[in-house]
Amino acid sequence: MSRVVAYRLLGSLAAIFGASLLAFLIMRVLPGDPARIILGPLATPKALAEVNHQLGLDQPIFAQYWHYISDFFTGNWGYSYTLNASVSSLFVERFPATIELALFSFVLTMGAAVILALLSTYRHRPVTDAIVRGASYIGFGTPPFFLALLLLIIFFKSLHWLPGPEGRLQVGASEPPAVTHLFLIDSLLAGQLNTFWESLRHMLLPAIALGIGSFSFMVRLLRANLLEVSREPFITVARGKGLPRWTAFRRHALPNAFLPTLTSAGLVLGEFLAGSVLIERVFDWPGIGSLVFEAIVKQDFAIVQAFILLSAVIFVLVNLMVDLLYAVIDPRVRIPAVTSA
Amino acid sequence: MTVTTDASSPDPALSVRNLSTVYEAKAATVHAVRDVSFDLRPMERLGIVGESGSGKSALALSILGLIEPPGRVAGGEIMLGGRDIAKLSDRELGSVRGKEIALVLQDPATALDPVKTIGRQIIEAIAAHEPGLKRSAARRRAAELLGDVEISHAEQRLDEYPHQFSGGMRQRVVIAMAIALNPSVLIADEPTTALDVTTQAQVLALLDRLVDEHRTAVILITHNLGIVSEFCDSVAVMYAGRLVETSGVDHIFESPTHPYSEALLACVPNPEKLAQGPLPAIAGYPPDLSSLPSGCAFAPRCPVGRDIPQCHQEAPQPHAVSGPAGPAVVECHFAEARIREASR
Repeated sequence: MSRVVAYRLLGSLAAIFGASLLAFLIMRVLPGDPARIILGPLATPKALAEVNHQLGLDQPIFAQYWHYISDFFTGNWGYSYTLNASVSSLFVERFPATIELALFSFVLTMGAAVILALLSTYRHRPVTDAIVRGASYIGFGTPPFFLALLLLIIFFKSLHWLPGPEGRLQVGASEPPAVTHLFLIDSLLAGQLNTFWESLRHMLLPAIALGIGSFSFMVRLLRANLLEVSREPFITVARGKGLPRWTAFRRHALPNAFLPTLTSAGLVLGEFLAGSVLIERVFDWPGIGSLVFEAIVKQDFAIVQAFILLSAVIFVLVNLMVDLLYAVIDPRVRIPAVTSA
Repeated sequence: MTVTTDASSPDPALSVRNLSTVYEAKAATVHAVRDVSFDLRPMERLGIVGESGSGKSALALSILGLIEPPGRVAGGEIMLGGRDIAKLSDRELGSVRGKEIALVLQDPATALDPVKTIGRQIIEAIAAHEPGLKRSAARRRAAELLGDVEISHAEQRLDEYPHQFSGGMRQRVVIAMAIALNPSVLIADEPTTALDVTTQAQVLALLDRLVDEHRTAVILITHNLGIVSEFCDSVAVMYAGRLVETSGVDHIFESPTHPYSEALLACVPNPEKLAQGPLPAIAGYPPDLSSLPSGCAFAPRCPVGRDIPQCHQEAPQPHAVSGPAGPAVVECHFAEARIREASR
């Protein structure tokens, strides 16, 4: 058990190290001189050298890497010259919007995937099954940003059901008092039902656009697992005890079908937290994704570099948590088997 | 080991009449169980033997009403406790399964839910029929049951998971769940096939003791004739979805009347004859259950009827015959002739 944990921790560290190396190297080989971008085209060579020195870019490459890594883990993520603020303060300011969208989309995606997988497998329903599989094909094959535009055209422009790309609340609306920085929760805490409703409406389209690909993936995975598990003899045994069909399915098929999908669920959550750049851009969502998009356009290296490493850390942490979760809830991982006696 | 069957009791524990089960696919309909009838007396032990794919397991699941789509029971009666359970809804059958008829499956490795404790799974079997039962009482009952199937430290082992048990132990747990409510009929589908020989003997001896104590009638499905001779009072030989020969065990081993029974028996390894060469096997393959011949299903492989037109054209009806070792019901045109031959 502790060996498993140690092994996982080591693997996580290796993954973060690899990502940091990649981020560091990519930023070094990309065209564009950071000092030139900061000072503008008219800067003198002396001033450029000065800035390069400030940035540490005149040091040997290993020393540069060491500074980069140690700065990252001490929270010193550099300074954004385009926004005139420290990267860490920008991230702290922007992260709640991304977290809220990611969590909301995750709940929506998983909920829909579970319900549809159940509908298509519990009892013999060929038509429902065909519809679910068809929908998952479409979700799988459509690029999220294209789907985002499509959703906006239908639900905002034509039907006027949901708000357009204006961020987390309507323009000019005041934010709920900040407690968790998640508008859905904060508005409820403050009793502002109207703000809650608006925030929900604003989040719906981006959450769907963000989640549709992962939804398609999860619904297929769950469907396959449920089909496989519901053919297991222990389901027949449970039914043979006199359990009603649904009880046997709920108690014995569901846990066994869901357990192996935890890993994928972890990947999906990691992806939502770190990979919503284009979706945030389309919906003008004030999260990390929009920040990074602007930073890429303006060649603001400090932000991009920190983002790459941060998303790697998020991914690794979420997956580490999933691995540890297995050890808690799966008895086959938690308790060693007794060799047959 | 033989059980004195009470001949004066006319009511069978289970009576199956003309049971048919089909699996309907787009291309073809598979007739897994065809017009099967038999009686099971209280405390009788009936062995059903046959090759893989002969419909043994489908018969077991049909009796319990556990055939899943695209399969369905196409017709027949299953009389249990004075009513036809084939006519009950799935919900109504829930109160029959586990309480009046219980099931033990072949592979103990997959018959238990891997993520639930043994205790929960045993308690579930009891609680399904006694909803008001208190947790502590249910737990005590479960521990007693584990003790009954000769698992030591029962109280502690209730909180363990299936992977902490060996194969033989798991099958004991499955048996404990099956006998939990004193069912009048137990259907055991190859209960020892997945176990090694020593464990097989132990599990069989356990089953033997328990069904005696609980006064349970047993349908033992197997392809192992050795187990039948040891455990059963009577035997039904299944071929291509039909019971081709039904009799007491003595009859089958002394004068198997259906040519298929005879062939099946000839395939049992006999240490005295091993030196004489390779084991005999039945030539050919069982028929495709989706396109059965109009005559006897065994005719193409039958050493007796292979070349006889009647066997290929006309399906044999059950013939009640009386052999040297007791009566039998045989589905073969030559049943009487073969009995006469055997008696000479």
